[in-house]
Amino acid sequence: MKERIGVYICHCGGNISDYVDVEKVRQAVEHEKGVALAKTTLFACSDANQNDMVEDIRTHNLDGVIVASCSPKLHLTTFRNVTERGELNKYTYVHTNIREQASWAHSNDKEGATDKAIRLVKAAIAKSRFAEPLYPNLFEAEKTIAVIGAGIAGMKAAAALADKQTEVLLIEKEHRVGGHTATWGTLAMTEESGSTLTERIYHDLLRRENVTIMTGTEVISSKGSIGNFTLKVRKRPTKDGDPVETAEFTVGSVVVATGFDSYQPKEGELGFAQSDNVITLPEFRHLIDRAEGKELVYNGRKIRHIAYIYCVGSRQTNGENTYCSRFCCTSAIHASILVKKKFAKINNYHLNRGIRTYGKQELLYAESLAMGDLYLQWGEETPPAVVMEGKGATITLRDILSSNRELELEADLVVLVTGMVPRADNSVGTLFKLPRGRDRFFNEVHMKLRPVETVIDGVTIAGSCQGPKNITESVNSALSAATKSFSLISKGTLETEPIVAEVNSDICSWCGKCAEACPFDAILQKEVGGKTVAMVNNSVCKGCGMCAPVCPPDAINLINYSSEEIMSMIDALA
Amino acid sequence: MASKINPRFSEELKRYGSVNFNACYNCGNCTAVCSLSSPDNSFPREMVRLSALGLEDELKQSLKPWECYYCGECTTQCPQTANPGELMMSLRRWLTAQYDWTGLSGLLYRSLAFTIAALLLVAAGVLFFARTFGFDVATLLHAGHRFEMLAIATVFLVIFIPNLLRMWHFTIVKQKVRTPMMSYITALPELFINMFTQRKAKDCDEKDNFRWLEHLVLVFAYLSLLFTTVFLNWFGTGSLFIIVLGYVESFLISVITVHFVSGRIRQNKSLNKFSQPSDWLFVIWLLLMGLTAFLVRLFIDLNILENNIWMYILHLTVLAQWALIIVPFGKWTHFLYRSFAHYFARIRSLQKS
Repeated sequence: MKERIGVYICHCGGNISDYVDVEKVRQAVEHEKGVALAKTTLFACSDANQNDMVEDIRTHNLDGVIVASCSPKLHLTTFRNVTERGELNKYTYVHTNIREQASWAHSNDKEGATDKAIRLVKAAIAKSRFAEPLYPNLFEAEKTIAVIGAGIAGMKAAAALADKQTEVLLIEKEHRVGGHTATWGTLAMTEESGSTLTERIYHDLLRRENVTIMTGTEVISSKGSIGNFTLKVRKRPTKDGDPVETAEFTVGSVVVATGFDSYQPKEGELGFAQSDNVITLPEFRHLIDRAEGKELVYNGRKIRHIAYIYCVGSRQTNGENTYCSRFCCTSAIHASILVKKKFAKINNYHLNRGIRTYGKQELLYAESLAMGDLYLQWGEETPPAVVMEGKGATITLRDILSSNRELELEADLVVLVTGMVPRADNSVGTLFKLPRGRDRFFNEVHMKLRPVETVIDGVTIAGSCQGPKNITESVNSALSAATKSFSLISKGTLETEPIVAEVNSDICSWCGKCAEACPFDAILQKEVGGKTVAMVNNSVCKGCGMCAPVCPPDAINLINYSSEEIMSMIDALA
Repeated sequence: MASKINPRFSEELKRYGSVNFNACYNCGNCTAVCSLSSPDNSFPREMVRLSALGLEDELKQSLKPWECYYCGECTTQCPQTANPGELMMSLRRWLTAQYDWTGLSGLLYRSLAFTIAALLLVAAGVLFFARTFGFDVATLLHAGHRFEMLAIATVFLVIFIPNLLRMWHFTIVKQKVRTPMMSYITALPELFINMFTQRKAKDCDEKDNFRWLEHLVLVFAYLSLLFTTVFLNWFGTGSLFIIVLGYVESFLISVITVHFVSGRIRQNKSLNKFSQPSDWLFVIWLLLMGLTAFLVRLFIDLNILENNIWMYILHLTVLAQWALIIVPFGKWTHFLYRSFAHYFARIRSLQKS
């Protein structure tokens, strides 16, 4: 029970004091039970006031601190740290919001706002009396890290982690590594082949003793949380009759790099599957990578005129893929340059919706223009019409760049510049409960500030499983995810917030309602003295409080928000 | 009706001197800076686009290349160095070849070898002609004068009238312009004003009126020298006024063309950066015309032509090459086509209102 509480009431410039009579609030609470000191301050968050608070804690021998100011989202951490500097346990600090909840909400009723502020501060004092010192939960963290997916992102993440002297498990579902990249020939800008690139990284990984590469292996279950994930994997047999092997590994964190699927056009979409001469961009890449001789021949027909239709499966106005797939403009233009360099007589027609060869890739666009390629631009409302005639196609479209003239061209081959879609197989996402965005790719916590972390602690995302990326961008995100995953567990111990739920096992008789309510899978079953009770996994619990109200015998207590504290606050508010 | 794309057309246009116009990425800077552009009428990107797509019929029916006077602003501002100004220039060459029913124009533009062969052939003809007259000055002067008149009449009847009719066919008939006969008369001032004053060039390049003035003086000097030699018989007259007039005219032609040639050598503005053989030929032969005419008359006045018959043969050679090659099939025709383009454009606009 706190007996020497310091209360600070903030003016927030005029944000609070213009509507709330802060002096009246101070007078109303200074004689409350347990209050040793009550002050008003122009800006509680200012350096000067923070130093005064530390000084007050010492000279007045305070055992609890309350600041009545803005939202705790803004300054809870600030004042917890001030309390800590005054050598009090920072969890004994109580914050109350009289700006958003009083002055701003009731700017038309100054008296009412002041009255509400008084009651909010009194409630805070009531809570403060019961505030207990708390200490962060410490765990030992497993220092092995799993990388799921051995495409270019997964392999680069594994190599970066291996550099940090930690054990790495690289788990790949396919029987080979390299993902999509390994299947591409010459790549844009660097002019190396995709397989050269992936083989180079693969050989680098093979040399490293702390990297275990498991191909043909799927993760089939995951238990535990940051610091201690238990992954169960299953080795897919390479041939019929081989036994299916399973194994379990414990890892501290996980990098998910499961990649993308190529968009498959629907039958009849721009002539797809209605003619052999309408193919997708990856199919076209494989065709030209293998093609030899003086003429490009496909299906027994000499190819002279190639039409590339852009944004197939991307930037859909009526479909669900509203996003831009980023890599395809560059990739299609690069392929068109390759094919023209290999077979001089080729004419390329780029039926696009605006070319997005951003950054240095613009050079490819310039090169293609200089080679005499034709660029025609269509709008989302008027897609090109592809009519198959004999072995070729007649394409008509309204060209935005020619005052919407209706133009016609004949093509021997139509290349649908297909984009990226999320993996149809979302098993890894399901295992870790990774949230997905509206684009159905995995979602990061914050697009700009926390771009590789997910809301699941200990699970980061790398490469195109997060959204369309080219190789450069995938590798960038992989290196970042590797560093982030490693930094989470690098100390060997983990600290988590002490504000979690706790189960009174004397009262609990396991009905399972709390486990159903928990959004984080933090509640487990446990045998205590011959009976089954609920147990909270402290490393996973976020202290959200969803479990407490659903417990029929009221066996769950949320630390820092005990029934005692909340009831006394309600009493003070009334 | 959808227009069919012809990617090979840009290869064809390269032979008429187009430079790098494929690099265009349709930003529209050229349209933004062009003083001819208006919301309803886009210059010059539309032409760049039609050329890239190879829509020959639409190009043939367009008068726009003639409305451009090559101020070069588009080329200066182009971020892709796609030279839209030079594209317009090469389209004018290509159109000249399209209007010409003989097909010789196209051959001369596309092939330097053919041009040189034609020039040599005419020179040989002149020598042969001079020899049949025994290199006699009086006879040659007389015959040269007759040739000049004959050449003008023939070129006019056999080449210009049919070619202008073809131009009219492409740009008026094929465009389905329906207009009362009267508009052909009410539009006539447009034809003559532009033919003699190039008024629109002045509007095109407000910063550089000197070039417009130079060109204006050159046009008048050239036309009046033509008149002075053909109808006032400069080389045969005794009238002091006519003699001095001819000297002034040929002097002006020489001075201005020397300035034009030096501009093309120095490449001082975009207009002068990409000279084709046809451009050199036009301006150098005009210079030679003025210079040799001046010298012939000087030789007559100094009474030394008799012993220097080569001077007159040289002049006659230049004249014959000019009248038989450059005037009917070469760059000289821009004088006609450009002014008729303004005339036809005026007729088209009368239809709308």
